[in-house]
Amino acid sequence: MSLSQPSGEERRVQFLGGASVDGAPVAYLIVLAAVVTVLAFIPFSAVLGMGGSFPMSQGVYSLVGWILGPLAGAVSSGIGTLIGVFVAPHTTRVWYVSVMSALITSFAAGAMAAGGKRRGWWLLPFVLGVLGFVVYVGRGLQNGVALSTALMTTFVNWSALILYLLPTRSLFARWIASTSLLKLAAGLFLGTWMTYGLAHVCAGAITYLMFNWPAEVWMTLIPIIPVEFATRGAIGAVIGTGVIAGLRAIGLVKPTHAAY
Amino acid sequence: MSVILFQSTGKRTLFHRLDFRSKAVLMLAVTVTAFVWEDPLAQAGLALAVFLACLLGGVRWAYLRVIFLLMTPLFILLLLTHGFFNVEQVRSLLGREQLTYLLRFPENWRLIGGGGLTREGLLYGLNTVLKTLSVVMIVPLVIFTSDVDQVVVGMVRARVPYTLAFIFSATLRFFPLLFAEAQTIIEAQRLRGLAVERLRPWERVQVYARIAVPLILGALVRSQQLEVVLQSRAFSGSPQRTFLHESRLSAADRAVMALALGGMALAVALRLLTGFGSFRG
Amino acid sequence: MDIHTPLAHFEKVSYQYPHRTDFALQEINLTVRKGELLGVIGATGAGKTTFCLTLNGIVPQFYGGRFFGHLRVAGLDTVDTPIHQLARHVGMVLEDPETQLIATSVENEIAFALENLNVPAEEIRARIPRVLEMVRLENLPKRHPSELSGGQKQRLAIAAALAVQPDLLVLDEPVSQLDPQGAQDVFAVLRELNHTMGMTIVISGHAAEELAESAHRLILLAKGAIVAEGTPEEIYGNVPLLEEYGVRPPQVAKTFWLVRHLLPPGASLPVRLSEGLNRLKDLPRPVHLPAIPASGATRPSAEALITVRDLHHIYPNGTHALCGVSFDIHAGEYVLIAGQNGAGKSTLVRHFVNLLQPTRGEVHFAGQDTRTLSTADAARRIGYVGQNPDLQLFNRTVEDEIAFALRHLHYPADEVRRRTDEALDALRLNDVRQRHPFSLPKGERARVVIAAVLALQPEVLIFDEPTTGQDLAGATAILDITRDLHRMGKTILVITHHLYLMPGYAERALLMNKGHLLLDAPLREAYHNLAALERTALTQPQAVKLAQALEARWQVPLPLLTPQEVAQCWLAEATE
Repeated sequence: MSLSQPSGEERRVQFLGGASVDGAPVAYLIVLAAVVTVLAFIPFSAVLGMGGSFPMSQGVYSLVGWILGPLAGAVSSGIGTLIGVFVAPHTTRVWYVSVMSALITSFAAGAMAAGGKRRGWWLLPFVLGVLGFVVYVGRGLQNGVALSTALMTTFVNWSALILYLLPTRSLFARWIASTSLLKLAAGLFLGTWMTYGLAHVCAGAITYLMFNWPAEVWMTLIPIIPVEFATRGAIGAVIGTGVIAGLRAIGLVKPTHAAY
Repeated sequence: MSVILFQSTGKRTLFHRLDFRSKAVLMLAVTVTAFVWEDPLAQAGLALAVFLACLLGGVRWAYLRVIFLLMTPLFILLLLTHGFFNVEQVRSLLGREQLTYLLRFPENWRLIGGGGLTREGLLYGLNTVLKTLSVVMIVPLVIFTSDVDQVVVGMVRARVPYTLAFIFSATLRFFPLLFAEAQTIIEAQRLRGLAVERLRPWERVQVYARIAVPLILGALVRSQQLEVVLQSRAFSGSPQRTFLHESRLSAADRAVMALALGGMALAVALRLLTGFGSFRG
Repeated sequence: MDIHTPLAHFEKVSYQYPHRTDFALQEINLTVRKGELLGVIGATGAGKTTFCLTLNGIVPQFYGGRFFGHLRVAGLDTVDTPIHQLARHVGMVLEDPETQLIATSVENEIAFALENLNVPAEEIRARIPRVLEMVRLENLPKRHPSELSGGQKQRLAIAAALAVQPDLLVLDEPVSQLDPQGAQDVFAVLRELNHTMGMTIVISGHAAEELAESAHRLILLAKGAIVAEGTPEEIYGNVPLLEEYGVRPPQVAKTFWLVRHLLPPGASLPVRLSEGLNRLKDLPRPVHLPAIPASGATRPSAEALITVRDLHHIYPNGTHALCGVSFDIHAGEYVLIAGQNGAGKSTLVRHFVNLLQPTRGEVHFAGQDTRTLSTADAARRIGYVGQNPDLQLFNRTVEDEIAFALRHLHYPADEVRRRTDEALDALRLNDVRQRHPFSLPKGERARVVIAAVLALQPEVLIFDEPTTGQDLAGATAILDITRDLHRMGKTILVITHHLYLMPGYAERALLMNKGHLLLDAPLREAYHNLAALERTALTQPQAVKLAQALEARWQVPLPLLTPQEVAQCWLAEATE
């Protein structure tokens, strides 16, 4: 019911919102961290049907970054993944690599559209990605992997680095903020591919230093990795379009550095 | 389905008495050492030590068995791929061309002819297996012997911002709730007649991934109420607060930290200076 | 106890949420006095939650928006005093038992606010057992919140609020998600706090019977304004007023209102059961009693649709959730399944759709062992509408939600369109077909889920707790839909603890307790079987209790279920 003018004196309302991390309410970080932990339990092997298995949480790291912004996103998915490791140590091989992937992916996603003083933030995940790439491929070549094999295996990674370096980075961010469903879905798919690609090569560098897969393994990975990435991107797009449309419909308070 | 959190080992062992901080340092030391070593014998020593520590700490054998079973396919893969294919790298690590073949394919076989299973490759594979085991087993040793309250207070004492420590503990609280919700959502999909296994691959991704949509939206809607609760309970994220539980470093804690850090430094230094822990075939 | 000193004072308070043109509160003038227990009632959307949240400054300090007038609580202005300072004076308990527990153990939950307020650890340790005793949870300090029942969770939230030793305890719909036992326990604790400690309590909700027993004063809110204020007798006794504003009166008040012409002139209506039972003696015994309506369920002789034989279910953790349950359900029945939380109701129906498999025994659907049906196949014949609609919505529009399963099951496009349109019509969702399901109010979200399940055209529909958290209008709307579907020939199963809602809908009741089937009887018989109801901690509706009192007084069988039926004893004669 509309009331013409209340009889009481209008008060100056100070917005004294609660604790936040980089402009995102703490409660958002908590629930999204819990979501990441839960999704770490849901494998995607059944869907791929080809032995390759990864948890669904990997498909939402980027989304968490777009919803919460780079810092809060990284904190949330990092803590969520860390707890996933703690409650089910057997779901991951090398725990610090899982946590690092989550941190880098969410940060890279959140930093895609950062402006103002944060204009240069994207450089951090990019430089990490380049370093990872150099270590990974460099060590591979040292171990006798052919350059062509190394490049084909790391297609998802160098494509991610190029997309992240070029203006495509901000183009995808604009698509994610778009009201067109098609653009949104494309932005989410490519954004997920790109940001996870950066984290993946850093993670790959570390696991490779540990495991030193022989060249033959690199070759078998050539067809598998892009399929995994496409699936991860599709998961990101399906979940992201649903969640972002929902968030817009509910009109929930947007974190300061949200990208949607 | 319920998820056991921080399944306490139920005993009060030496590890239970240690502060979370000293155990975290121990975890770091084991992880770094496992990372820098490549010698299967040294790795075996480390993995065995961690395994025994797990048993001493009361981590149940049944739990460790599940971990071993789940990781067995990976281990077999590691052993086979290194055993059969890791030739170049092993040669360069050993600085010699000659490897010991335990099994050899006839020269006339396509692609793999002339190749075979090498002792050195197999040992290198064993190194990666043991490395993984140490890194995986140290987690339950540290976590299952720690109380959540200790972890949180330990984090704060270790200068982790209180807000982060709080997010950590609150996530632990809400995770089982959302886990149960995820189960309900999966059921709700099946109850709409959707059998994921019968769908085409693209449809499977579409349907299956959508499980996360109500999970995330529901969680965010709830977070609004959670925010109200936090404020009503005077939460401001400020580190200016008291703690019901305490976390103090005992002499034993300090000793464990010193030993762990010293051991780690020694492992790295010896590897760099004397080559101890490097792969020798 | 001085119950006259003002503790909270609203002066011309109006409030508007950000981005809204309507007012959530309008022109509130009210004083809450020390030691009183104030009930806040009103339909969903009347402003009860907003009213409660103004008391600790969350409105407007957290939500923003425009705030008019002044509200002082314990001498502090709620707009100018920071929330964390107000938190020392106002304890808050909210509706959802899950979200408001944030710690990993009972004692940490209580300590949380105290730690934030810098209370020394020794003092916290001293307060924990004290408040746990007040809410009767003294034996559980180390428990994880997920190990508590709904009622225990709400009592823990109350304990956490009490720990700061507030002047005022505010509870927003604290029992709407609880079973009757949980609700009774919470109200018992609140009455005790009020009586023995003089705690000032503001409590909002739809629990008419409990509020009538406990509150000193009630305010009735509608569209954010106080439309009536008075004692429970004054408010709950004014049945037309309540009905105008969509609020359910206690059944005892409703019954006596229907026969008010028989009461002495000027006499007020009883609003509590004990008074109602007393006042029955003022009513004359009618010469002719009305014919008792038929008991409803005449079992069809046709072959059973669902047969359950010696069904046992043991969960992996060892809980024996079902212990040898046997019964049949025939096509076209409308069956109520009732019992306290943990009685095995959901476990039972989950076997029908093969979500669970019997540990022992058998369940057959249309002659087929349900173990041999895939859940997906079963779903096309048995629709299951789960408890929380929000966990069953996956799509961006209402229309897509309804077509979702049909499309993935590869129905032809025109069939998808036809069935979607039919379901939208049946659930009156045409106007919102393009809206996002999450943007709709809870009652409509529940209807979207029903429509989506209905689109598969199942023969049987199972509704698990469809009325939890709904007000009278919301609950009635959903139950009316179940009745329409029943009339269309569907077999309906409803799980609920809200017994007072089910007369006029269900014909047969299955009462469950601790995994056993206590009673399988026509609804009338079940509602009058006090022993069975008590064993499973269900409360007889007040009308049933009145009927039983009359039965004892007049020595005639009176298996009546509703206030209307009880009143008919006298009204029938008047119309003859």
